[in-house]
Amino acid sequence: MEALGRDALGGVKSAVKELVDEFLILFANILFAVSLFAVWGVFTLIGVIVDQNKGADFYWQNYSPVLARIVLRLHMDNIYHSPAYIGIIGLILISMTVATFRRVIPARLPALRPVKIDKIPLHATVQVEGDEADVRERVQKFFAQRGWQIRKREFGGEEWSFVDKHNWARRGVLVAHIGFVIIAAGTTIYWASGYSGQFTVLSGTTGTIPQTGATIALKQFGYQIQPVATKSGIVYQPIDYVSRAVVTGKDGVPHDAVIRVNQPYDVDGVKVYQATYGFGITFALTKDGKPIAGPPATPLKEGEAFDIPGTTRAIQYTSFVGTMDRRTGQASSDPRPNDPGVVLEAFDGNTPLGQVLVPLGKPLDLGAGFALTPKQYTLYSGFQYRYDPGISLVLIGAIVLVLGLCISFYFTPARLYVVITGAARTWTVGIAATTVKGYDIFEDRFREIVEALRRSPQAS
Amino acid sequence: MLDPLKVAIDHNLVVVTLATYVVGTLVLIAYFLLRTPLLQRAGMVLACLACALQFIELGTRWNMTGVWPLTNLYGSLSLFSGLGVLIYIIFASKYDLWLIGGGVLGISAIAFGYATTWNEGYMPAVPALQSYWIKVHVPIVVSSYASFMVAFVVSCLYLFKAYGERRYSATTGVLRASAAGGANVSMSVAMPTAGTLESVVARTETPNVTAAATAGDPFAVWLAGLPSLARLDMLTYRIIAIGLVLLSIGIITGAMWANEAWGAYWQWDPKETAALLSWIIYAGFMHLHTRNAWRGERSAWISILGFVSIMFCYLGVNIWISGLHSYKM
Repeated sequence: MEALGRDALGGVKSAVKELVDEFLILFANILFAVSLFAVWGVFTLIGVIVDQNKGADFYWQNYSPVLARIVLRLHMDNIYHSPAYIGIIGLILISMTVATFRRVIPARLPALRPVKIDKIPLHATVQVEGDEADVRERVQKFFAQRGWQIRKREFGGEEWSFVDKHNWARRGVLVAHIGFVIIAAGTTIYWASGYSGQFTVLSGTTGTIPQTGATIALKQFGYQIQPVATKSGIVYQPIDYVSRAVVTGKDGVPHDAVIRVNQPYDVDGVKVYQATYGFGITFALTKDGKPIAGPPATPLKEGEAFDIPGTTRAIQYTSFVGTMDRRTGQASSDPRPNDPGVVLEAFDGNTPLGQVLVPLGKPLDLGAGFALTPKQYTLYSGFQYRYDPGISLVLIGAIVLVLGLCISFYFTPARLYVVITGAARTWTVGIAATTVKGYDIFEDRFREIVEALRRSPQAS
Repeated sequence: MLDPLKVAIDHNLVVVTLATYVVGTLVLIAYFLLRTPLLQRAGMVLACLACALQFIELGTRWNMTGVWPLTNLYGSLSLFSGLGVLIYIIFASKYDLWLIGGGVLGISAIAFGYATTWNEGYMPAVPALQSYWIKVHVPIVVSSYASFMVAFVVSCLYLFKAYGERRYSATTGVLRASAAGGANVSMSVAMPTAGTLESVVARTETPNVTAAATAGDPFAVWLAGLPSLARLDMLTYRIIAIGLVLLSIGIITGAMWANEAWGAYWQWDPKETAALLSWIIYAGFMHLHTRNAWRGERSAWISILGFVSIMFCYLGVNIWISGLHSYKM
């Protein structure tokens, strides 16, 4: 019974070992790795083409029903964070690791063994005159002077020289793979302990970063938009977005801060970025000419709504129009608030009833005695914040990756096999070359080496 | 107010540069077909002139407006055209590859011609582009695109030659093995290398082409005068090796800029991911190129696919797909 158990255990062990071996062989295979690359590429392409992170309604409205169903069912609406996408990156990392240990690290110098010179596509012979010892010394000197590393071995009474260059570059792929791993570690650190978010702050109010409690009191948001004459007409080109604020971090000391696009502010290691801006609108609601409660006292931002008291209706502030064309009553292309208005949308429950553009300060008759007046606008600033403890590691990984690519691509580790045969004062130097990148890439260089050897004063 | 004289100079430079590209293309195509030294010399001069004019035009714009000229598609495509020709000149000088000039200058002419349709005049940069990173990131990325463009032309020539040789070859296996430096190819330096017909024919890998050329078949003689398939494959590899490193650095500098401007080094923006897609394709090329069986014709097709993805990333995403690279209020 015990023997039976041992046999069964041995069988299981052998099956597991076989399975592990097959797994390692598969994951170390370059074609398998490239197949994973191909799948990764297809997933990435889907993410480029299909709009990402939109609500289900967006796809039903903008895509054909069949396509919308496919997108939503297969989670293509957020493909970069889907299990399939993360899984394929995981498989690539596994494949890279296995390949590194099974192929890249073991790919050391080829063994020092004699070869059949004329069977190697890159081969040549050079005639040299002189004593044997002298010829050998001169050939050795020729390669040594050109930075080649020479090792000699004797096989069956015949001396062979194994001449190598750029051996260190055999580690280029390893360096590149390590770069990838460092990048993956850096992003993992962010996932584990970093955070980010967005918030908006109206001019004259204060916003808080929830994770640290740091506050940003917005003194003023400013923008600069310049009309520029182009071939297509006047274009209103944004030139500057800037928030002037007082930032208070953990130390409790307020600091004046100027936050611009491309100029983030650092508070307690959290970077705060100028992300967006907009126009908050204060509304006044009346019923039969008398002010009533309804819209909030604080300005509404684009997309926000309020209910009309005692009805099933709601009004949404959809967008801000900087300059209205008084002749047409429509929005003009000038985004600067010269003659501002707001686009409002009415809803009955969830049913949209229609949109209207209302000049600022003019009442809008809502019916049943209700009138709504957009009173004034207040600029607000949108901030993005991010704490990323892994970012330095990602940068280091990126640099290591590029270094690895440069080593792999621009240096060709080559091995020359050199054997000297002959008698008396006439000797033949046989040379053959192999590289880790095939023969074609070394052909010109090999030709130069042989020509130089042939031209050298020692050779005949 | 811009100096009207400088504006006029800029306009004229645009016209002259475009004309030089077009004439250069025609001359180098003629050289490709006829292989006369005079056409080669004229093509070399025109390529250098077009490249110089392109950079002078961009410099004039910068000098005139004080705004870095690469803030829009016009400037970017202008740089693409100029850099494409510059990379071609460097590789052609080093590897005697002037034959591909018609293709490179042709694409540069089309790109610059298309760029002029996006030339809206002289505009200041939007806030997101007001960063020193634009002087680092954009030239690096565009130079990677230009490298891939040159690699694309070499790959097309490879396929042209491979299919041409196929006319004379009984099996396609010979071609692949030849390009891969297979054992049936002798590269012994002991063979003649002078510019005689015999030695040129000897460098082609398809014995049937050699035989046809020796028998006087004019197309075979013409075909044999093209660089060998192995050499074209090696050149594609070398150019992509430049382009891939530049693209990697371009993606990294772009991420560093994004981190400063948008608060995250990677946001899965369509432009970022399209660049990643191209990177994946070219990384796949480099991996597969380590295998003999994948060098040559298959590699050439992957290089072409890679350039299609580059064009999608460069033009398709910017023009058709909305994202952070079309900064909106």
